[in-house]
Amino acid sequence: MMRACFSWIGRHFPLLVVAIVYFWSMGSILAYRQAQVPAGTDVVLRIGHWQLEPGVREAFNRMADAYRVQHPHVTIVQDAIPEGTYGQWMTTQLMGGTAPDIIEVGMLNYNIILGYHSRYFVPLTSFVNQPNPYNAGTALEGMPWRKTYKDAMRGSYVEELQEYMTVTLAQFGCRIFYNKDLLKRLTGLDAPPHNYRGFLAVCEKIKSQRDARGRPYTPITSSNYHMGMWESFMCDPPTYGAVRRIDFNRDGAVGNDELFVGFKTGRIGFGFPPYAAKYSIMRELTSEFQPGFTGLGRDEAVFPFVQQRAVFISTGTWDAGSLQEQAKGLFEIGVMDFPLPGRDDPAYGSVIEGPVYERPAAGFPFAITRTSKHPEVALDFLRFLGSQPGNQKLNDIIGWIPAISGTTMTPLLQAFAPHLEGVYGALPLTLGGETIIKWQQLTALFQVHQIDYKEMTDTFAPFYLFKGVEEFAEAQRNRRRGVAREEQFLAGFRARAMAESGTNAASLWIKYRQLTSSRLITRNLNAARLRKILEEGVTTNALAPYAFSDRVVEKVRAQVAAGNREQP
Amino acid sequence: MTCGSRVAVCLLLALGCGVLAGCTGPVEKVAPEAQIRTGWDEYRLGNFAQARDAFQSALRYTPKTNATHLAALYGLATTWNMRRPNEDDVLAEKLYRQLIALAPTNDLAAWSWLALARIQAAPVEGESVDLLKQVDAYQQVIDLFPFHPAGEEAFLYQQAARLEEPDEGRARSVLLALEAFLDAHPRSPWRATAYALCAHCCDVLGLGSKRLQAVFNTWRASEVAPANPVQDRSWTYWQIATVAEFEVGDFATARTYYGKLIEEYPTEQRVFPAKQELKRMDELEARLRQEASKP
Repeated sequence: MMRACFSWIGRHFPLLVVAIVYFWSMGSILAYRQAQVPAGTDVVLRIGHWQLEPGVREAFNRMADAYRVQHPHVTIVQDAIPEGTYGQWMTTQLMGGTAPDIIEVGMLNYNIILGYHSRYFVPLTSFVNQPNPYNAGTALEGMPWRKTYKDAMRGSYVEELQEYMTVTLAQFGCRIFYNKDLLKRLTGLDAPPHNYRGFLAVCEKIKSQRDARGRPYTPITSSNYHMGMWESFMCDPPTYGAVRRIDFNRDGAVGNDELFVGFKTGRIGFGFPPYAAKYSIMRELTSEFQPGFTGLGRDEAVFPFVQQRAVFISTGTWDAGSLQEQAKGLFEIGVMDFPLPGRDDPAYGSVIEGPVYERPAAGFPFAITRTSKHPEVALDFLRFLGSQPGNQKLNDIIGWIPAISGTTMTPLLQAFAPHLEGVYGALPLTLGGETIIKWQQLTALFQVHQIDYKEMTDTFAPFYLFKGVEEFAEAQRNRRRGVAREEQFLAGFRARAMAESGTNAASLWIKYRQLTSSRLITRNLNAARLRKILEEGVTTNALAPYAFSDRVVEKVRAQVAAGNREQP
Repeated sequence: MTCGSRVAVCLLLALGCGVLAGCTGPVEKVAPEAQIRTGWDEYRLGNFAQARDAFQSALRYTPKTNATHLAALYGLATTWNMRRPNEDDVLAEKLYRQLIALAPTNDLAAWSWLALARIQAAPVEGESVDLLKQVDAYQQVIDLFPFHPAGEEAFLYQQAARLEEPDEGRARSVLLALEAFLDAHPRSPWRATAYALCAHCCDVLGLGSKRLQAVFNTWRASEVAPANPVQDRSWTYWQIATVAEFEVGDFATARTYYGKLIEEYPTEQRVFPAKQELKRMDELEARLRQEASKP
């Protein structure tokens, strides 16, 4: 009998192991979930996110406790999933119908997220247009929820669906972090200079010094990841002047097609001083980075900073907590704004028109899943977190910037207050595959000082002007190819309007017309304007889009003269 | 086969039977109206096969004269027309024409005619199709349903297609056609789009003051959705201000609308350029005043 039993086990051993592990996992999960839910709980809300930074899980736990004080029958449990596997985890949970009630949306390609929005998440438009009850007693009481956000909930709106789909809970920003103690030791300064020339001089001083082992210090530690921030905040702003010259549709920004037309018709080129200034600043800045920085990853750039071998690093609020954690007991961290050259700068003063503009966009977005058993409670908890007091408390615990108006920031974060007025880049060299790759290859060489600006642009300009013709045409074809997708969406939208009645139908029809107008009817007009300019060829005396024509000047002259005459 | 294997096979067979039994559970007859709702829900989710099945099912259970039958036919035609990949224009056209034949004056017939015109006008491999072909296709809808929203939409597509090659003669004739449309359709919900196209024509023709008027009219005619009354007007303000400043030389209007942009949308990207333009206008006026005051 025993022999038969062992023989059976032997034959089915792999199957048995799988079965035992399966039941053990199931039991563990059930026990774990049971342990998380206190007695007396009627509603268990699960919230999934990828924020493993210090403070986030604690913040959710404390906010859940605070919520439970007001709603004793609700318990909130979080699933904190590592960033690397979050996308796959979210996909399997959503597809399997086992997703948490509230889930942080991200870590996947935008098109996939878009599909998930329509399949798995609850649209929130009607709710964000209502006041948030948790704002009662504050200055935001009675105001539509979306209007209480610093970015008016722009980050929550999904253009393709014409719906607000998420609730964002924090704002993010980029600045320069520095090691206060090392700065003091190497330069004698308590704080770095905020002007560009002073900053470069300090960097030079740092670079000239050696540690006990004779190794030079690195003024700025950087990587391929960090380079983007330096470029956006320090190198792009001078290029803003191109807007007045080649913003043909006068929408306030330069598109990649407008830039090509500008180059092709001789209205602008790499000799344009603001463009040359961008790369001159880049050259000066990258001279202060460690050698070979373009080959380094995000974490590799952080090591020299926490090992006190570099003084400056650029990063965002999302890293503030972990940097402080790593510096604890070793050195003090300071935060400073990017030291953009001023109007008085001898080299760049003429092309710097203002500080860099930062769009106040909120992140940390959460959606309610369609499979939630308690969507109304999920919404209520998000309202709690997205209220002025709730959002303040949540972000105070994490150490991030609140997303709601009228909230305050810790002193460290005050340096992250966005510049709501300023300039922005106007050199979008992103026309098509071949020119983008060529430009990336050349800028990579430029960043590591293997070629200079002249060599880079002398090589690129003829390539851009030649290949750009086909890429420009292909971009126009792609624009037309996109019609099918728009039409598909709008046919579904129209069917929705047809099926509704009353106010809802009226609103949907209005939206249908607005979308049809912008996405289909007037879709190609701008492109047609650019084609016409391109066909007219090289010009040397064309009036720039933001220039006063002689006719306008004469008209204003007449008005001024009339005004002078009227004055006694 | 060992005893254990036999047991495993039996278990698998039992499991399989159970699954199959589950698949052949009691079949509930779903109302055709509900099938159509499901069809559109599936369509919007991109599940075109399910959408097709739902519409086909609704078609099967409704008499041809029934409004639900027409709705199912329209849904099915749209699914074949719009699904990507595996679209079937030919079948879609056949279904649209079937609907038109069943109820030529029905609301859905108007939308079907528009869909047929859009099939004709659809870009091939990213290239525009012949303009005459497009104009003719839209004209059919306009002639049949001149005051129906589908006919009005067709008219606007037609004019926009003519503007894709922006020569001045064509822009002039499109402007005339649009003005005639606006006169004849005083209550059309498409007036804002018609004015926007007028503004574009004026831009091509260099008619600054008329363009400014058209931009104003676009704004005035634009509809406000009752369910979402708060609309972002920052682009409208910016457009009015820049046209007034650079094309008309109407600095007073430009100042008013730059001011509105700055006041109502303080975090908008164009606030800084708006302030710069206010300063530039002041500087130009100061310079001209100085020049005028010189003997």
